[in-house]
Amino acid sequence: MTAREHEHEHGSHLAEVDLRVRALESLLVEKGLVDPAALDVLIDTYEHKVGPRNGARVVARAWSDPAYRARLLDDATGAIAELGYGGRQGEHMMAVENTPEVHNVVVCTLCSCYPWPVLGLPPAWYKSAPYRSRVVIDPRGVLAEFGLVLPEETEVRVWDSTAELRYLVVPQRPPGTESWSEAELAQLVTRDSMIGVTRALSPADLHAGSEAT
Amino acid sequence: MARLEARRVEAVLRKGSSARVDAAVPARFRAGDRVCARNIHPAGHTRLPRYARGRQGTITQDHGVFIFPDAHAHGAGARPQHCYSVRFSARELWGPQGDTRSAVYIDLWDDHLEPA
Amino acid sequence: MNGAHDLGGMHGFGPVERERDEPVFHADWERRCFALTLAMGAYGAWNLDATRYARETMPAGEYLTTGYYEHWLHGLQRQLIEQGLLTREEIEARMARLRGESDHGAT
Repeated sequence: MTAREHEHEHGSHLAEVDLRVRALESLLVEKGLVDPAALDVLIDTYEHKVGPRNGARVVARAWSDPAYRARLLDDATGAIAELGYGGRQGEHMMAVENTPEVHNVVVCTLCSCYPWPVLGLPPAWYKSAPYRSRVVIDPRGVLAEFGLVLPEETEVRVWDSTAELRYLVVPQRPPGTESWSEAELAQLVTRDSMIGVTRALSPADLHAGSEAT
Repeated sequence: MARLEARRVEAVLRKGSSARVDAAVPARFRAGDRVCARNIHPAGHTRLPRYARGRQGTITQDHGVFIFPDAHAHGAGARPQHCYSVRFSARELWGPQGDTRSAVYIDLWDDHLEPA
Repeated sequence: MNGAHDLGGMHGFGPVERERDEPVFHADWERRCFALTLAMGAYGAWNLDATRYARETMPAGEYLTTGYYEHWLHGLQRQLIEQGLLTREEIEARMARLRGESDHGAT
């Protein structure tokens, strides 16, 4: 098959998928099973309102406030709720803290489980076969692809989200941030660092124009 | 069964849907116990991944009593039981080429486990 | 089930591909599929565990060669039909009607 034929077939396939989704929506609304206005609220919530800036605030507070950090590690659901986050796909939270000795990374090999209230919806790579298959068997290799090479002595812990516990990685606080406010610290906390595939940004990264997603 | 109304969406998402069950079900294991993931291959839904079956691990935490998905998915009720964090070393899972300084933590239920 | 979804430890999928500035949804149908799935989940005819299983039933070859929200679509359609809320014939008929409308430029 030529590249153009591939593209055409791919395009036709997705056109059929789009048609099927529209057909389902049309039927379900007609039969009164779905409120179309509810669909808009659901979309708006996860496309615009819920995202990793939530988790960044949690991490920044944990970095700034040792008592909060202790509460987060002991009862993550409760500590996260203190900041007003919680609910669907975050009912049972666990915070796992990175240290020089231990690096944590999260996956759902079986599907795509992810802590929505603090991170929003997962990126496509997290849900993809390459990540789900490899991070459990070659975590250092996967982290290296993300630019993170860990010292050999650091233990890597991969958390496979097989139950309804949802995992939030607390990345290490970058050096040189001792006087920073929580709001400033939150700018360093990237989504990827809360999944555990990268570290948090350094002050230098931030000044070089890197952005926390 | 009822249609989800737009004005209820925020509250429904905020409430979530906890899988925890308030039932006094005894735990079969506790933190520190050595366990073996059962070599089961159900045709239906299971949250026991193939890569862990038959492998030995250590209970690191008892999360408490939860709905058991393997049953719940098929209308067999919640079958509530303890769910644990189980640590498997990379060597145990992947053989001699496994990294000596890494481990995989999997959340598994009583019905997935037997004493090692 | 020992389905294609049980990916831990498999080889051969290549590097983790990342998209810069990735949008939450890549197409409007993904957006609608996501919302329909959550709305029908809240309707109460099934539970989340059954929903995950429905996605797992996608034939292995299809699962591995289709995108994430296509898995959701497969599962949603399967659950709707299994629970008797829609029939396959109704769905195909509605698709034919919508296809005809878009072919003729009607909305």
